[in-house]
Amino acid sequence: MGSTTGRGPRLLAIATAAVLAVGVSACSSGKSADKAGAAGGDSGKSGGSFSYWSMWRKDEPQAKVIQAAIDQFTADTGIKVDVEWTGRDVSKKIGPAMAANKAPDMWDQGADSIYGTAAQNGNAQDLSAVLDMTIPNDNVKVSAAIPSKYWDSLPKDPKGGQHWVIPYEASTAGVFYNAADPDVSAAMSSAPTDWDSFIKVCDALKAKNKPCVASEGEDSWTNGLWFDYLLNANGVNFADLANDKSGATWDNPAVLKAAQQTEQLVKGGYIIPTYTATKYPAQQTNWAGGKAGFLINGSWVTAEVAKQIPSTWKYGFMLPPGATQPDSMTFGFALTKNAKNVSQAEKFMAYFLQKKTLSGISTEAGNITPRTDIPAPAELADVQKTLGADKLRLTFDGVAGDWNTKVWTQNYLDFWHGKTDAAGFVAKMKSAQVSFWKTQS
Amino acid sequence: MRPRRKAPSLPMRIATGAVWVVVAADIALVGWILLTSLRDGSDILRHPFGVPVHPKGANYGKVFADGGFGRAAVNSVIVAVLSSVLAVVIAAPCAYALARRRNRVSGAMSMTFAMGLGVPGQVMVIPLFIGLAHADLDDSQPGLILAYLGLAMPFTVYLLTGFFSGIPAVLEEAAVLDGASMVRTFTKVILPVARGGLITAFLLQFISAWNETLFAIVLTHSQDKVTLPVALSSFVNEAQLNGLDWGAMFAGVCVVLAPMIALFSWLGTRIIQGMTVGIGK
Amino acid sequence: MSTATFQDPSRTRRVRGGSAARGPVGAAPLERSRRRMFWAFTAPAVIVYAVLFLLPVGYAAWTSLYKWDGISDKQWKGLGNYKTLWQDPIFRTSLGNTLQTLVVGGLITFVISFALMLVLREMNRRLFARSVLFFPCLVNAMVFGIAAGVLFSPDGPVNQALKWLGWSRPPQWLATEHLQTMILGTLVWTATGYYTAILMAAVDQIPDYLYEAAELDGANAFQRFRHVTLPMCWDVISVCAVLWTVSSVKIFELILMYGGSSGSQPPTGSWNTALYVYEEAFPQASTPQLGLATAAALVSLFLVILFTVVLRRIMRRDPVEY
Repeated sequence: MGSTTGRGPRLLAIATAAVLAVGVSACSSGKSADKAGAAGGDSGKSGGSFSYWSMWRKDEPQAKVIQAAIDQFTADTGIKVDVEWTGRDVSKKIGPAMAANKAPDMWDQGADSIYGTAAQNGNAQDLSAVLDMTIPNDNVKVSAAIPSKYWDSLPKDPKGGQHWVIPYEASTAGVFYNAADPDVSAAMSSAPTDWDSFIKVCDALKAKNKPCVASEGEDSWTNGLWFDYLLNANGVNFADLANDKSGATWDNPAVLKAAQQTEQLVKGGYIIPTYTATKYPAQQTNWAGGKAGFLINGSWVTAEVAKQIPSTWKYGFMLPPGATQPDSMTFGFALTKNAKNVSQAEKFMAYFLQKKTLSGISTEAGNITPRTDIPAPAELADVQKTLGADKLRLTFDGVAGDWNTKVWTQNYLDFWHGKTDAAGFVAKMKSAQVSFWKTQS
Repeated sequence: MRPRRKAPSLPMRIATGAVWVVVAADIALVGWILLTSLRDGSDILRHPFGVPVHPKGANYGKVFADGGFGRAAVNSVIVAVLSSVLAVVIAAPCAYALARRRNRVSGAMSMTFAMGLGVPGQVMVIPLFIGLAHADLDDSQPGLILAYLGLAMPFTVYLLTGFFSGIPAVLEEAAVLDGASMVRTFTKVILPVARGGLITAFLLQFISAWNETLFAIVLTHSQDKVTLPVALSSFVNEAQLNGLDWGAMFAGVCVVLAPMIALFSWLGTRIIQGMTVGIGK
Repeated sequence: MSTATFQDPSRTRRVRGGSAARGPVGAAPLERSRRRMFWAFTAPAVIVYAVLFLLPVGYAAWTSLYKWDGISDKQWKGLGNYKTLWQDPIFRTSLGNTLQTLVVGGLITFVISFALMLVLREMNRRLFARSVLFFPCLVNAMVFGIAAGVLFSPDGPVNQALKWLGWSRPPQWLATEHLQTMILGTLVWTATGYYTAILMAAVDQIPDYLYEAAELDGANAFQRFRHVTLPMCWDVISVCAVLWTVSSVKIFELILMYGGSSGSQPPTGSWNTALYVYEEAFPQASTPQLGLATAAALVSLFLVILFTVVLRRIMRRDPVEY
């Protein structure tokens, strides 16, 4: 009886908190939600269900971890989860599904994708209530288990909120290499600290007929990371650059310098030959087979090549020399605009963050979690340390969406394939960006 | 074949040789795809011409277990068969009426159907997605069947109008004089005669529904609702995320390809005639 | 590949002539029953066609005048979306690729198909050869796109063969700048068999006595081709041209999957208008732009209409009587 009467206000509190934007009001209602969350853990079967579209396909390790958590969650709470393993295309499907009022309650993707597809237009609900919930069994609040920097770095939705995603997988991008590769260790005794010494390392590898850098030539995201980090090293914010409607920021000499440094890789012949003519993950596989020294990618790459690398492999990780601030990209749950079963879905989000459940992302899926008390897989220990920085910078400073397709992708690839030089690239980007912003009214 | 044939000239012999080379290459390509689907993924890029020494049936196991190709194949069959049957059932009476009654109304109607032949699918895909979603039919087989049915109308009506026009009117006149109703005449007299045309219309519609990709990708996404082309494209996406397993990808390709090879070996002549008849005269 | 077939107008004309010659005896009751049943027979197809085909086309035209993400309210833009399309370099690339496929691909396909037809006609076992060449047009183009990913990879079978033949640095087939050409090539290869079969069917209908007469007049092989074969299948060629226009504008899966998946989306340099529509309506990480997408779709429809009208006008000839 007691639990039944207690449930009304609890749901109300969560719903209220979910509707309200971040701010004082969310804090004030937080306490009751907190208590309710703790009660939810023991009071057991509250029933109901919610629907969830996943970015993972059924046979991916993350899907298996989430599926196990769902089974346990249903057993513990009686809440059924109607899950669809949609795959990465979930971000293509979610917008039209919301349009047709057919969207699930919950979905997950990279934060950049959630922002571009939903949050930037106010189509992702505020999840501040979840931050105030207590994680079952661990008896710790979500906001205490996950450092606030993961939200502070996110772009704001139209209401100014940043709590539109509950991250369960963290990552940073950087340069990976095999420290046990004799060619690499001969070329550098320790990781280079500035760009020129990195180019010297490349020269040393080139002298041994080994390409310095592996690259999937068709992918503007991973290859663009070089430019992104070099901009950061030269003190330019990528988002300020991309959002400048006049394009004048492109005239900043620091931008040209970053482009010229990137160009050194292209013009110096340091990139693995044939890189322009293959599809992902051909060159990543080559790199894992020791055919190139370095590979820049998100930290999930270690899990992707886990089956391909030899047993002697020893991971090395560094940021592109010169850059100091690691970037951050999280993957997490979000609620759709018209989600109906908000409280059930929110309860699951907190449930999934339990140490024993979330550990699967590390132990089984080979990735880093945002909880600092869950150790990363051994090969990512160094990477997890860089994510320990006080402040995080979003990959590409959070630039996502149409600008990427319309301005960035083709122009950067032309540059990366050596068809334009640094100055030409900067000029093309400037003019493409000016005409892009003109059409965005 | 032709009575006036003389001994072929040298250029002709070279050209004939070239054509046979192309034919051989086509057969080799299909054979290579079939063989590669039985090979180990990592082996394929290392020895592109290799043959499967130890045929790896596991590729197919992977395709059916992880890729959900079994369910997708069933869905493809259901959607392609039902949409094609419905298309023929609905289009046939209309085509018959248009073939037999020639006045301004039927002329305008025929013209409207014919104009549909020129509308590329991308024009309808967004409206149909929105409309079917509002009718609660998105991500479902009935929805996809309806979409294919609409797409099939212009072509099926047009094709069948041609077939019915070719059937002498004397046949049904006799039946009508015997007092048969028009419905009865149509079902008992005309349809049996037009059976060949109906089967051809069904076959061509079946083939295009089997291969259709744009609408399937847009309208379905659940793993138990998608058709083979969608399953193949997501399987390829996924294969790339999990290290490139070309062997399994080619196994997926073969699941899409094999039924067409079978169908074509069985009914090739009818298919070719159906797709070319009426264009020549 | 489209499977469209055009009805032969001359045959229906012949049939109509036949029914006019019928005796007046049974005509009246037959005519009455036909009138009554005409609507009953046509109604289902007309309703299906109107609801599932014409209505969507109209809705697309209407949507193309708005800015709409599908979720919030529509905002009136008038022809603004079309202007945006014109200013978008990616749409211009897509349109350029579509036109290139349509015109260049079309010419190459017809030249090869014609040549193949001429050779096939003189060959032994020509029906077998025709069947093999025809087959690719029945297969989902994705299959060949994925196969090309291995065939043309830098160390793939094609380059291995070329190296073996002594070409030490064979081309990078799948480089982004070659993608459109490769796609075009694949398309031509899958389509030629189909058009060859159509042309063969057309040429087979040409009565032998025309060739014999030409030969008696002393015409050589080329003159026979020029004065008999070509004019006799001119109608079919003009229908083929329209057919190609329609089918080349809606190519989609071949580009989407060429060389294997590209993850989020294929390189923009290889897009055509169909892919542009898909990517604008279902973007990976940005807001759906349904108005812009439907406007792009309508541009491809206008393109088909324009080409069809122009082609019909250019290729109109007096029918050849024989």
